[in-house]
Amino acid sequence: MKQLLKTGGKLALICAVAATALALINMVTAPRIEYNREQRLLQALEEVSGGFEIGEEQEVEHRVITHAHRLFDEAGEPAGIILRMRSDGYGGEMQLIAGYRLDGSLITARLLDNEETPGLGKEAEEAQYMEKFEGKGSSDEPVPVRKDQLPEDQADAVTGSTITFSGIAEGLAAGAEYVRQQEGDES
Amino acid sequence: MNREFTKGIIDDNPIFVLLLGLCPALGVSGLVVNALGMGAGVIFVMLGSNICVSLLKNFIPPKVRIPSYIVIIASFVTIVQMVMEAFAPDLYDNLGVFVPLIVVNCAILGRAEAFASKNTLKNSVLDALGMGIGFTLGLTLIALVREILGAGTITLVSIGAFDGVISIPGLIEAPARIFSLPAGALLAIGFLKAFFNWKSQSKRGEA
Repeated sequence: MKQLLKTGGKLALICAVAATALALINMVTAPRIEYNREQRLLQALEEVSGGFEIGEEQEVEHRVITHAHRLFDEAGEPAGIILRMRSDGYGGEMQLIAGYRLDGSLITARLLDNEETPGLGKEAEEAQYMEKFEGKGSSDEPVPVRKDQLPEDQADAVTGSTITFSGIAEGLAAGAEYVRQQEGDES
Repeated sequence: MNREFTKGIIDDNPIFVLLLGLCPALGVSGLVVNALGMGAGVIFVMLGSNICVSLLKNFIPPKVRIPSYIVIIASFVTIVQMVMEAFAPDLYDNLGVFVPLIVVNCAILGRAEAFASKNTLKNSVLDALGMGIGFTLGLTLIALVREILGAGTITLVSIGAFDGVISIPGLIEAPARIFSLPAGALLAIGFLKAFFNWKSQSKRGEA
């Protein structure tokens, strides 16, 4: 019994020292990590805004959409919406950010936090990946959600990362539908 | 040169001779820069864990030595992860899930159990550095083969006007894509292992 306590006590001591060291380092790195994340989000917002003025952040209750920012043109009239979404990829949840015009067509989008495979699904982080979706999403031009809806050269580019592609496409399609519904309700 | 240091680099290379740590060797050897980043992480964790295990070898009760080693290794890995995410976010994004996987890199636990727990602090430090550098060299070699053949580029750290990517003419237009896929990692490791076996046999005059 005494031996057991001694052994357990030593292990607990090692754990306690390790936890303390980690807590101290976390105090240094956590603010910096948070800052990096905010910077990345701000940069992404700017990139998908299509040059419009970005409105305040609103929380959204929706299956895939988490936040929305309204977009305004120079005259202060509504010009579009930026949506932040989460979707499922090959390596778990992916964070997407996408700018839409009022008719639901996509200005452009970016893939943010994700755990996709480097070299395959990760390629979706590149800005040019989203070109195949740009301008799509209005009621007469839907977002391509299957590979066979893409022109051949673009379909080849997503080969090897079909699940990433589906995750992004379904997120973007849900976003476009949401934008069309919102605008439909208001007009 | 000290034998404890040099053995890890060639004779007992963790990847090609001991065949330890193959999971990251397969996973993050797609780009040279990732291999170097992963190698730096492994050297740091192995150094930290070998030092701690060597210092604590008389304190850690034999019955719970493996859990103790894991706690020590996991702490160092978490430190690497937090520091990398804060100060090298691009590298962190690229390495992704493979950083936490350093915990289960058998090369590190293997060295803690087989070497640091039985040897002096000085030898453990030399062992960690040698094994860490041997691992990094092995990983970088695989990454070079895979990236040159699979993508036709060599990606290094970008400094100033140099964007860090060297393109190989001829291969960049028509790369052998298989080498950037997981199967290519197995192929590259297999051929490199065969090459090193052949080398060591011919050294002994058997070939």
